[in-house]
Amino acid sequence: MITNAEVLDVEGEEGNFKVSIRKTPRYIDPAACTSCSDCVEVCPVSLPNEYDHGLSERKATYKKYAQAIPGAFAIQKADKAPCRLACPAGLNVQGYVQMVGQGKYKEALKIIMEDLPLPGVLGRICPHGCEDACRRCEVDSPVAIRDLKRLAADRFDPREVEIECQPTRDEKVAIVGSGPAGLSAAYHLARKGIRSTIFEALPAAGGMLRVGIPAHRLPREVLDQEIELITNLGVEIRLNTPIGDELGVDELFDQGYKAVYLAIGAHKGLSLGIPGEKAQGVRQGVDFLREANLTGKAEVRRRVAIIGGGNVAIDVARSAVRLGAEEVTIVYRRSRAEMPAWEEEVQAAEDEGVKINFLAAPQEVLTQDGKVVGLRLVQMKLSEVDSSGRRRPIPIPGSEYDMEIDQLIAAIGQRPDLSSLENVMGIEFSRWGTTEVDPITYATGREGVFAGGDLQTGPWVAIGAVAAGREAAESIVRYMDGRDMTEGREPIVNENPTYRPIPPHQAKADRAKMPELAVEKRQGNFEEVELGFAEAEGQAEAHRCLNCGYCCECYQCVEACKPHAVTLETHAQQTEIIELQTGSIILAPGFEPFDPTPFDSYIYAKHPNVISSMDMERLLSASGPTGGHLIRMSDHAEPKKIAWFQCVGSRDLNRCDNSYCSSVCCMYAIKEAVIAKEHAGDDLDCAIFFMDMRTHGKDFERFYNKAQDSGVRFVRSRVHSVDPIEDSEEVSVRYVREDGQIETETFDMVVLSVGIQIHPEVAALAERLGIEMTEGHFAKSGSFQPVMTSRPGIYVCGAFQGPKDIPQSVVDASAAAAAAGELLAEARDTLTRSKEVVPEVNVINERPRVGVFVCHCGINIAGVVDVQAVADYAATLPYVEYVNTNLYSCSQDTQDSLTEIIREKNLNRVVVAACTPKTHEPLFQETLINAGLNKYLFEMANIRNQDSWVHKNNPEMATAKAKDLVRMATAKVALHQPLGEAELDVNPAALVIGGGIAGMSAARSLARQGYPVHLVEREDNLGGQAHAIYRTATGEMVGENLAKLIQEVESQENITVYRNAELTKVEGFVGNFQSTVSVDETETVIDHGVAVVATGGRALQPEEYAYGEDPRILTSLELDRKFIEDDPSLADVKTAVFIQCVGSREPQRPYCSRVCCTHSIENALELKRRNPDSQVFILYRDIRTYGEREYLYKEAREKGVVFIRFSLDDKPEVSVQNGQISVTVTDHVLGRPVEIGADLLTLASAVVPNASEKLAQFFKVPVNEDGFYVEKHAKLGPSEFATDGVFLCGIAHYPKPIDESIAQGQAAASRALTLLAREKIYTSGHVAEVQPAMCSQCGVCVSVCPYSAPSFRSLEERFWPGKAEVNPVLCKGCGLCVASCRSGAIRLKGFDNDQIFAQIFSLDEAV
Amino acid sequence: MSEFEPKIVSFLCNWCSYGAADLAGVGRMEYPPNIRVIRIPCTGRMSPKFILAAFREGADGVWVSG
Repeated sequence: MITNAEVLDVEGEEGNFKVSIRKTPRYIDPAACTSCSDCVEVCPVSLPNEYDHGLSERKATYKKYAQAIPGAFAIQKADKAPCRLACPAGLNVQGYVQMVGQGKYKEALKIIMEDLPLPGVLGRICPHGCEDACRRCEVDSPVAIRDLKRLAADRFDPREVEIECQPTRDEKVAIVGSGPAGLSAAYHLARKGIRSTIFEALPAAGGMLRVGIPAHRLPREVLDQEIELITNLGVEIRLNTPIGDELGVDELFDQGYKAVYLAIGAHKGLSLGIPGEKAQGVRQGVDFLREANLTGKAEVRRRVAIIGGGNVAIDVARSAVRLGAEEVTIVYRRSRAEMPAWEEEVQAAEDEGVKINFLAAPQEVLTQDGKVVGLRLVQMKLSEVDSSGRRRPIPIPGSEYDMEIDQLIAAIGQRPDLSSLENVMGIEFSRWGTTEVDPITYATGREGVFAGGDLQTGPWVAIGAVAAGREAAESIVRYMDGRDMTEGREPIVNENPTYRPIPPHQAKADRAKMPELAVEKRQGNFEEVELGFAEAEGQAEAHRCLNCGYCCECYQCVEACKPHAVTLETHAQQTEIIELQTGSIILAPGFEPFDPTPFDSYIYAKHPNVISSMDMERLLSASGPTGGHLIRMSDHAEPKKIAWFQCVGSRDLNRCDNSYCSSVCCMYAIKEAVIAKEHAGDDLDCAIFFMDMRTHGKDFERFYNKAQDSGVRFVRSRVHSVDPIEDSEEVSVRYVREDGQIETETFDMVVLSVGIQIHPEVAALAERLGIEMTEGHFAKSGSFQPVMTSRPGIYVCGAFQGPKDIPQSVVDASAAAAAAGELLAEARDTLTRSKEVVPEVNVINERPRVGVFVCHCGINIAGVVDVQAVADYAATLPYVEYVNTNLYSCSQDTQDSLTEIIREKNLNRVVVAACTPKTHEPLFQETLINAGLNKYLFEMANIRNQDSWVHKNNPEMATAKAKDLVRMATAKVALHQPLGEAELDVNPAALVIGGGIAGMSAARSLARQGYPVHLVEREDNLGGQAHAIYRTATGEMVGENLAKLIQEVESQENITVYRNAELTKVEGFVGNFQSTVSVDETETVIDHGVAVVATGGRALQPEEYAYGEDPRILTSLELDRKFIEDDPSLADVKTAVFIQCVGSREPQRPYCSRVCCTHSIENALELKRRNPDSQVFILYRDIRTYGEREYLYKEAREKGVVFIRFSLDDKPEVSVQNGQISVTVTDHVLGRPVEIGADLLTLASAVVPNASEKLAQFFKVPVNEDGFYVEKHAKLGPSEFATDGVFLCGIAHYPKPIDESIAQGQAAASRALTLLAREKIYTSGHVAEVQPAMCSQCGVCVSVCPYSAPSFRSLEERFWPGKAEVNPVLCKGCGLCVASCRSGAIRLKGFDNDQIFAQIFSLDEAV
Repeated sequence: MSEFEPKIVSFLCNWCSYGAADLAGVGRMEYPPNIRVIRIPCTGRMSPKFILAAFREGADGVWVSG
């Protein structure tokens, strides 16, 4: 099974296709996953659960629904989130934000510190480009990412995070500069096992972080702590050690350093270049800040002017305020909008009293006695946009003015001070005064010397320097190892990233804002202004994250997954392209429910109590979001009145493009209404608003009648509008009844019965594959090749072939399998391999030696149940010889060790206390077989699914329960006996009964696949009822196609046709039937392995509507006959009337004949084609042109066919008087009788089955009240009987048109083939067995068995004549006969009385 | 009477109710631990004797589901 896969292309032709498939990874190894869902517990990413239609939530690691196959979990991922891509260091932002949201601060730090050793520092001062990229901006405002990083560092000391380092190596590296680049390089080198020494010119470490950023933004202790975490890794920092003439790069190499990393930053301020700049009182901002930051003080005068608009200018201004300046003014040449400083910083500065003089540029420093006294400014204006993307300021001539100041601080930028590096050989500098390096490796021109940070980029953000340091560390390691420094490091650009779509109705939520130190408390100190988030506030902020990448790659699942099914390696899986060679292809891509969201009239998107039928399915489901409790969504109150609107997205060209009928909605709406009443009680008022009620499936009409009886209201109407009611949870529905009356009713809930449509991606696939589509975008197929697409070798089934329900989809699926198999018949069994058989040890008469294995299932069992206590207890039980516990009993290595232990300890019975036998019994039985034990010497105790998982808050009781379950299992297993599985040859021949369309299709399919077929037909020719049909609904001529089919069947050498034949006797059972066929009183005995019943049906001869009184009153088939014969009288028809439901949907025949509406409409159109001026009336009860047959109905109305509806209690009346046919019917709109004089009256008479009680008895198969055979399962087994080896197709199952009959013929062949192809049948060991001595021959077992397994021995038999016996081949082991046997003569192996009693008796203290 | 904890023995059909009980586990639904399940191949296998035996052993309730 290839999941998460998409077919990209199919090349080649029938029999030899090359299919390319794109497989998206699962990110979890399905072979190792035990479906324990521990990963789900820790996954922080909550997403709407699609399976519950968004009514509940799931995690990014998930299993779509409990029964999903494969059962392994999967992780949903998209591209890396934009925040991560925007971060120069590529921090996994989504990951740590989610961890913060969970209050997992340590885990958040671990994620951050993968890349960044300074979380508390950057959590304060980072300019957070990530927030600009945040897609939350599209909803409201970005997530406060930086502040959340800080919260993590506030709540957990980063020094306490364990940092994994590789073993320390001998080589050392010299790093020059202890700013963010140098620190980062040292940190990342240390993690790679390389020690480094940082040479720092200043008396304190940290570079610009220390000397450029004031403490009110970055408290010193935060920086100190985070530098400490780096030095804790063995990094040495030598302060006051500048690089220069005495200690240059050469000297560092001489001292034994293997590489040098230069990260001296950009600490030299740019001068203003205006007169007077040398005056006393003028200084550089960076110098000012360095002094203030290192010493805590710096001289400020009364009136300070600061030139610049960046963060340095703001830092200087805010520091000056704190140091006592009275008037601080920032002079900036552009306007506020262009300021590079962060808005919040500008705001804070202003709050603290800083003034900003916008659109002003300094022209001259005014001095007196060498001291600053003022500043001459010129006013600026903004002109066009320049290369920086901002509008260029230009001076306004003559606008100069002076301002009085005492101090001027320039903060217009900085550059590296290269004086110490100018003489280093091999290092080159750009014209901006920065170092030239390789853009990927950061290597300079000199071997072994690398450079980064502001030295290389010019003044830039700290996180950029951190990234540069990390990259340099990688290069240095590779350099030292002599590896290629560039390999695999080219940046990957994804131009069209895919992200989780922003939910259309995403609720807005305000971005959290940090509390700040009150402005009045900021004077005279450098206390931190921003005080950090409280936990709850921060976590709520984290929950604003939209999880753009779905999975946030926090890797919590990797730690939680005990069986290592999800690892860092599986997380790194990539999409792969798979190529497959196949002979044939089956398309079963299904449908999507119509989405009513865009259609305002339904108010689906706006009103919580207007839901879709798919939502309703989940609400009614016991496994749904409310556990099946019916509530309305707005207030979770129980609804009292629910309305269903039919045909939403179907039969509608005005509001959507789906003019077909979706076929399934009427039935599911009735089902939902009935179930809703079951769940909520009979008082619940359910009303279904519909146009035509289409219950055309088997037993559907009965269900409809029952629903009416149980009080479901069916309102034939058109809904005009649905409106919310103000101040109420209810909605108001306005609708027009059939008679034109307008009504208004209120409901608690409205369910939109949405239709079926083909997903655009499926349509695109069809286009890629080059298969033709119908008007409704379904795969086009023919009535005579119902599962074949227009491209040979590609087959189709399910809703992609046309809107259909489950039984029809299952029929199609089997048919498609048969069709695909016909093509591949020659290749059958060419790829099978057989398994080695381990000889079985004889344990009969041995004393039981039970081995008990108790499973931890990681923490799934052990987290609740005291596994050791259970094991210790098991050791005290009778017959227990060996007890062990396993971490995962199902893992391959445990299986191997189990095999060993069984052999070594000579165990002859095994109990595994673990999950559930439903999923794992076969696996452990396999282990027993491998150990040479009969697989039935095994029992499981369900201590997970039915214990630890459901009693997790009650560990003691759960442990007690586990002990009880182990005791019961041990008591039972001691009584187990080895059981045999009889082997039986299957006769490869098939008997097909009925040579109509369905039977011939079944016979042809089996024959094409190489199996001999005996086709028995009661008439003297093949073809059955199809001979009487003119055209199919899609306009194909039946005659010629039927002739082709007959010709093919007759010429098939594998098929023997018996005409005028009757089955007179059937003996045997699956695999080995002997049937006697009588032809002209000659009897032939046929041996066959399977039988297909295709006995068909016929048209009812009407006994009403004056049928037989006039030659112009016909049945539908009689009219077809006239068409086939091209009867000239048809040309004279002026007025034709069709009456529908003749004999169908009547109390004596309460089923719909399914084909008649389409047939009559097609015939009406044919009359119109032959004589466009004729008047055609169709008198109907409901028009049931399901699927794309609806187009015919539409065409007929367009062509002027008049449809008049009548009801069962007011049927039309037909009279023939004086050669005039007169039809009187009450018009459904006018409410008045209308009389129509007709010269052709066609009665759409019911389809009735060719019931044969005899045949039913021959094959022991049931017949329903209407005379149709009863299939194995209404939904999942429509083409087979419960009795093994007997199959069913065509009208014998239920009335159906030609295409469906052919499909079911192929389906029956397909199902039969699953038996024939096996060649041998193996019985189960768990079968009933008669002890004939005790049998009283009462026959109860024979009568109760649904599988016809028990029978009486022949009276002629030598032993036990006349006693009952059970055929193990047919027995399904249900035990019905065992419980029913009044003599106690029947035992059920494996579930025998003594074994079940052993469990009951060992309940002991449990009860 | 408030301390009374009934002890329930249930016979569950392998094909439906037993599977449903497994699924209740998969869904982590919680229910009281007073119940002991005996898996039977079909409720057709149920013999009245099993019910009587369970009561005789001291069960306060017997639940047959299938």
